[in-house]
Amino acid sequence: MIQRMSHATIFVTNQNDALEFYRDKLGFRVHTDAMVGPDFRWLTMCTNDQPDFEIILMEPKPGMLMDEETSKTVRALLDKGVLGAGVFNTNDCRGTYEEMKAKGVQFVSEPAERPYGIEAVFRDNSGNWFSLTQPTGES
Amino acid sequence: MLPDVETLERLARARDFIDHCYDHPLSLDQISEKACFSRYHFLRLFRQAFNKTPHQYLIERRIEKAKELLRAEDDVRVTDVCFEVGFQSLGSFSSLFHKCVGHAPITYREKARETEASKRQVPGCFLVMYKLESV
Repeated sequence: MIQRMSHATIFVTNQNDALEFYRDKLGFRVHTDAMVGPDFRWLTMCTNDQPDFEIILMEPKPGMLMDEETSKTVRALLDKGVLGAGVFNTNDCRGTYEEMKAKGVQFVSEPAERPYGIEAVFRDNSGNWFSLTQPTGES
Repeated sequence: MLPDVETLERLARARDFIDHCYDHPLSLDQISEKACFSRYHFLRLFRQAFNKTPHQYLIERRIEKAKELLRAEDDVRVTDVCFEVGFQSLGSFSSLFHKCVGHAPITYREKARETEASKRQVPGCFLVMYKLESV
């Protein structure tokens, strides 16, 4: 039986830029940052509240998992902004929205009441969009 | 044009000889003898078939083995590695190693160890999917 999720991959256009964005604008911290061989950087980040869930920030590079065409396709999807990478939870959607906005994070939609809570939608600096949700009952 | 089958078999025999005896001092005469060709004829045919000279093949074999020994857990000395893989002088081993691998033997070992340590932090399936390790 599967118990829980420990890792999930988010494709990013540049690992250095993504690290800065996730750390400085989203408040994540680096979990592991290690070069494995000359071309493969294993970079994972986590939130303070969930240190055992690692988000793998991976560049779609040709020559390893992907061929040239596939990596171009993934980059094009990122550029188009069609990849939705998940939902982050907060206990204060409006406050976090203001904080992130002040730091320059681009929002697709402002905080709004939904049947399940208060939700805003933002993008990371690679083009992935995320829901920022304050579930009903949390404040 | 590739040599005929019989010639290839004879060349492969000589190459197998290098594979088995790379740790000994090998001369072109000894190697070409295994294929029953005169040394210059052999040299030309070998290069034609394998895109490298017998000497280059021998050096590659030795360097590969040296890398393997340097990566091994126990701290074997570079000098011992040098003689174990068939080189006669530490100087020529070090400079050839640097030329082929891009680092001095000792630096190669340090880097290989670092890579191994980093790998232990990564789930194995990623190493396999990203072709950093074979299945």
